[in-house]
Amino acid sequence: MAAAEPRVAATAPPGYTALAVKFGARQRSPHCLLVKEHRVREGPADTHPPQRTLFVLNVPPYCGSEALSRLFARCGAVQAVDLRDKPGPGEKAEKGTSKFFTDRTATGFRVAYVVFRKPSGVQAAKALSQEGPLLISTDSHPVKTGISKWIARYAESVVDQEELKAEVDAYMQDYDKKVAEEEAKAAKEEGVPDEEGWVKVTRKGRKPGLPRTEAANLRVLEREKRKRARKELLNFYAWQHRETKREHIAQLRKKFEEDKQRIALMRAQRKFRPY
Amino acid sequence: MTEDSSQSGSSAPWAGREARRSQSEALRCGGFKEPAEAAEAEEVEQGPHTPGRGAARAKKRKAAAAAAPAPALQPVKLSKAELYKPPTSEELNQLKETEDLFHSSLLRLQIEELLKEVTLKETKKKKIDAFLHEINNLLSSIPETPETDITDQTWLPKGVKVPFLQVPFSVKGKFRFMPPAELSVVGSYLLGTCIKPEINVDVAVTMPREILQDKDNLNQRYHRKRAVYLAHIAQHLSKENLFGNVKFAYMNCNHLKPILLLRPQGKDEKLVTVRLHACPAPSFFKPSRFYPNKNNVRTAWFLEQGTPKEGAPEPATPHYNNSILCDTVLLSHLHFLSGVSTDFPGMKDGLALLKVWLNQRQLSKGWKGDGLAMGLGCFSGFLVSMLVAYLVMKRKIFKVMSGYQVLRNVLQFLGRQAGVGWIDPIFQGEDRHHIAAVFNVAEITVTLANGCTSLTSAGHPSLADFHHAFEVVFVDPSGLVNLCADMTASKYHQVQFEAKRSMEVLDDRMVDGFQALLMTSKPMLRTFDHVFHLKHVSKLQSACKKMQLLNELMDWGGNYVAAALPFIVSLLTHGLARRALLVAHSLPQTPEWPIDAEPPKHKDVGSLMFGLLFVPEFAASTLEKGPQADRPEATDFRTFWGEKSELRRFQDGSICEAVVWEADTICQKRLIPEQIVRHLLKLHADIPESSICYTGALLESVIKNGKKALGTGEEDMVNVVCSYDDLSRKLWNLEGLPLTVTAVQGVHPALRYTDVFPPIPMKPIYSFHKQIKTRHLLLPSEEKPCPAYITPLKIICHIEGSGQWPQDKEAIRRIKAAFHLQLAELLQQQHQFICRPAVTHTDVYKDGYVFRLQVAYHREPLILKEVVTPEGMLKYRDTEESQRLELETLHQPYLTSSLHGLHQQHPVFGSTCRLAKRWISAQLLSDSISEECVDLLVASLFLHPAPFTPPSSPQVGFLRFLNLLATFDWRNSPLIINLNAGLTDADCTEIKNKFVAARSRLPVMFIATPKDKWNSVWTQERPSVQILQRLLVLASESVRALEEQLMNPLSSQDVKIVFRPPLDHYDVLIHLNSNQIPRHLESVDWPVKSFSRGVVKNSAGVRILFPVVDYDPVQCYLQDLREAFNDLALFFYDKHGGEVIAVLWKPSSFQPQPFKVSSMKGRTVTTLNNELVCVPNIEAILEDFEVLGEGLVKRVEARTEKWTI
Repeated sequence: MAAAEPRVAATAPPGYTALAVKFGARQRSPHCLLVKEHRVREGPADTHPPQRTLFVLNVPPYCGSEALSRLFARCGAVQAVDLRDKPGPGEKAEKGTSKFFTDRTATGFRVAYVVFRKPSGVQAAKALSQEGPLLISTDSHPVKTGISKWIARYAESVVDQEELKAEVDAYMQDYDKKVAEEEAKAAKEEGVPDEEGWVKVTRKGRKPGLPRTEAANLRVLEREKRKRARKELLNFYAWQHRETKREHIAQLRKKFEEDKQRIALMRAQRKFRPY
Repeated sequence: MTEDSSQSGSSAPWAGREARRSQSEALRCGGFKEPAEAAEAEEVEQGPHTPGRGAARAKKRKAAAAAAPAPALQPVKLSKAELYKPPTSEELNQLKETEDLFHSSLLRLQIEELLKEVTLKETKKKKIDAFLHEINNLLSSIPETPETDITDQTWLPKGVKVPFLQVPFSVKGKFRFMPPAELSVVGSYLLGTCIKPEINVDVAVTMPREILQDKDNLNQRYHRKRAVYLAHIAQHLSKENLFGNVKFAYMNCNHLKPILLLRPQGKDEKLVTVRLHACPAPSFFKPSRFYPNKNNVRTAWFLEQGTPKEGAPEPATPHYNNSILCDTVLLSHLHFLSGVSTDFPGMKDGLALLKVWLNQRQLSKGWKGDGLAMGLGCFSGFLVSMLVAYLVMKRKIFKVMSGYQVLRNVLQFLGRQAGVGWIDPIFQGEDRHHIAAVFNVAEITVTLANGCTSLTSAGHPSLADFHHAFEVVFVDPSGLVNLCADMTASKYHQVQFEAKRSMEVLDDRMVDGFQALLMTSKPMLRTFDHVFHLKHVSKLQSACKKMQLLNELMDWGGNYVAAALPFIVSLLTHGLARRALLVAHSLPQTPEWPIDAEPPKHKDVGSLMFGLLFVPEFAASTLEKGPQADRPEATDFRTFWGEKSELRRFQDGSICEAVVWEADTICQKRLIPEQIVRHLLKLHADIPESSICYTGALLESVIKNGKKALGTGEEDMVNVVCSYDDLSRKLWNLEGLPLTVTAVQGVHPALRYTDVFPPIPMKPIYSFHKQIKTRHLLLPSEEKPCPAYITPLKIICHIEGSGQWPQDKEAIRRIKAAFHLQLAELLQQQHQFICRPAVTHTDVYKDGYVFRLQVAYHREPLILKEVVTPEGMLKYRDTEESQRLELETLHQPYLTSSLHGLHQQHPVFGSTCRLAKRWISAQLLSDSISEECVDLLVASLFLHPAPFTPPSSPQVGFLRFLNLLATFDWRNSPLIINLNAGLTDADCTEIKNKFVAARSRLPVMFIATPKDKWNSVWTQERPSVQILQRLLVLASESVRALEEQLMNPLSSQDVKIVFRPPLDHYDVLIHLNSNQIPRHLESVDWPVKSFSRGVVKNSAGVRILFPVVDYDPVQCYLQDLREAFNDLALFFYDKHGGEVIAVLWKPSSFQPQPFKVSSMKGRTVTTLNNELVCVPNIEAILEDFEVLGEGLVKRVEARTEKWTI
């Protein structure tokens, strides 16, 4: 590996601008962020408005959203930073932002959508490539890594019981209400024919139908099969007798073929050398 | 296994899998890619042991791999026409024969293949015949010599030494050489029953009558003449170009009986060994002189005293007599055997199988140096031929039987008596009789052989005489010779034991009998639970003195090893009577020697090895209870145990003699047999402790936690389980829960006794931590070293099913969290445990342990699986989430309880497992294979031990584990583990068939258990093909290195070498600060410097701040690294105190790739040949390693010479 001159992070694929970024002043080799203007044909309702959003590739693992927004703050006020594992259309906004029941956050090298307040921020950010490498952790705003980060993470993992309880209670109240509503709706529709005259049979009704599940279906089929087998006579007719014998020999042959194959394989692996 | 990797990319069955795993998992480094190379590399690292062999083997393997195309089983497809065509009578016959004579067609085919492999080819036979002819011509042309005294050997030229230990030197008698009166081939070659690899042709050279004199039967005169005779022949033949190799050897290591070995010149040297036996002219000696109660060696002569003492009766010399008699019956035995084998094709096959069976068990020959060698008192091929002949006479075997049936019948016969109870040869008397009664050919063969032999019925020694003189008696057709004269009772018991085991294996349809009986070798180290060496056999000289074995010494011609061995073994068997199932010894063996060298002395036998097989219930008991003090037997007991024996009062009021052995911990108790062996040998045989090298627990030091630990943690494990039991009871009876707890199941390895380092109770020291009083907990402090690692012991708490549970996965999550909160609250209120609830679990601090309770609802996996089809049908489809949950709440608890049960049956299961896991972790592969998978592999050793017995010491279990890993054919066979005997024969067949049909879709390692027949849940994700390959290579190298260490009592026996991982393969090494490694004390080589970890060990607190749980910075670091660089590199670490994280770049990661938005992680864009490509930004990544591990990483060592971009 040519360790001599650090590669100048100037090359970038068309449409992208490369920005060099380092963790701190002590590090020598920078990572290279690829940025470009976010362009999609979506409505203005999207969380990443095309004009004002900067799409950032290859965000290093220690660079959180705070650090990122600080990096780009000099280009204009940053409205939001969205860190993702993969680029893609924005998911539906987290419904009911829960403190305890969020799914795993993105880790490792990620992509980011940085939304500026003004479109000019995007252009200013692209111009950063002319400057020296950006620093993620500075003296004024150190980024925690290593031991201190893990200790902080451990501290965070301890939950406040009261808070958790309150959240669970609130959620369950909502849920119960929703279920009650659904049940009420179902009860109302019970036995009422639709416009074509069909009546929906549910397990709750007066005459519960067979549950529409795979397992139930299989059970029925199995029962049928057993019933048929019970009625059948075995080795009753001469031809049946012949057939059984023939089948027996065929079985033996098949087994023999299989064994032969197995033996051939073992011979190939020199399995018959006792020592 | 070479095939595996060399075609791992292309071969059909793997191809699908390979693609699925994507090349991202492929590894670049030599050690991972090419096993042959790895083996070589390994060789270099592991230093001192035989560098050449591995390389040569690797080359051979490579060649084999190149030759054979990827073999893999394919499901058989036969067309209808082929299946249903009318059978020919021949085919019907064969099918019938298979059914009648063999168990299955597979067995029949296997046996046929094996026989092909071991029998001698016709072309070779022709060569051998020609060679024999030439020898015949040469022998008859040797010139005569003038008559001289036997002691005057000056006429022999310088180039040859008499192959005999002539002590005392002076004997009377004259010797002259005359060409042999008769030469005849005897033994297995003519019968066609000799098998490869060692083809021996025995030639009886009859010395002419004129050479022998009247009193030659006395004082070794015959033996010396025989030796000089052979020496003269040797000297003449060595001049011939015909021979590549002329050497002497002792016949079956009996130093009274040298033989001359002739091997052809050139490339045929390995083909055959012709062994010349000199024998006396027929009917020269009177048989009555050699009855077992007669004396033929005079005490005065032997002790070199001038005049014989008057009146003192001369002791009988049965072994000496027998050695002469053997020479007289060589030809008649041949005739007898050839008579039996005519019209009996099955005998030839059967004998070949029996010989393979004996060889694999090292009963007939042992591996010595680089070849098979006969030893003193072996159960030789000749013996087994005679046994078959006996059974034919007894009408136990019929001439229509197949080879397989001969094998079965012989094993049946041999095994019949075994297991009746351990026969104790010190108090024998009738017990000896017992052995002999089995082995008595005489009565029947004499009547049958009357016509053909010249013997008259008068004047045969009685059986009682034989029994009195020998431990094992098997009288030949002449009624004079005991064929088992040299065999010790212990060896015969071993044969019986093996036969019985083998019959059980053959009758068990679940095991592959062929493989277990004939293809698996049973070296002593892997067979016996404990093994010890007698380093210097010369110490047996003093043993003979101590045990007053002068008569035996005289009988054996001064061979103190042979004289003392039976007594030593019976001493041990008596001492270990209750504890040991079997006490076995290796056969004393002497090497062959060139004709111009002095014959080997008795001490050249090297070291003797003894193996003990334990009864697990009694092996570790500390008490040896003797008879009541006032009984006459008490004196015997006292003399046997010496001063260790003392009077003790027992609970039932009796006062008895007893021996109590000192042992506090379980690991020390396992070594009580060592104490006994050392004590008895010292007391009765004057063998000092320093010449006993006992290897029973050498490996156990790696599962001791730190230098100071006394035991190996079994006691800690028991404490954990007790505390867990208590907690589960309290959970059951918890009041105030809206739904009741239906089951509490542990899943942590410590709860099934397989945790490598079981948790010990700990109490935190406040000042060491950052305290958060408001929330009652402690946090690690940045300034101090990392606090001790406290493992959370995970427990699944099943809550009763009820209509109150929501049927929606998000809602279930909330309800479970609510349960966790409530459990914590109730446990705190009702039992004053301090708890720390979280969303997914509740941690409970109890008795110094931390238990992690996780609530489970039995319908949750089903709810996760639910899929509604467009038609409204409810289907259940596995999802990743549901599988994970099932694993956690269903499979893991089941496995834990089954293995917990297994540990109760086999008390060393846990320790074996721990050794195995420690080894895997030491090889940095613990993250690449699931812990449960290793547990199951070890469980299979206990549940399906055939052809061995279930291990009763961790060491033998570990050796077998390594061997299983190294030899199991993962590609073509599933490993079926019949936990709780939940699988039937039919299930096994079904599993095997389905496995073959679906091989390409199944994981590389397939393990089936009763609750998991089709999915192999523990090996789904890990290991990958490459890791498994690496594991196999490491295992086979480790087992080799380890056995080498253990087999050599004179070496340092540093067994830890197999626990020190080779680091040369890796591209980057990340060295860590030891103060931030919480489990630093667990490392293989105990660290010199240790740090305070802020806990008081072995104590528990109540009402304390909650300690730091499950905080291991190294694991956090590894997690960060893997998340960030998963597609560029692999990270390896020994989680038990490793100081280094080893990094390996993935081979694909260095290939320049076209720019893609999704594959930019950690890469940089550059131009190559005017194209934009992405390459990994290595310099930055190396710096990232340091940044991410701030405070933990000491230095990053990049071995830049190992890679190029």
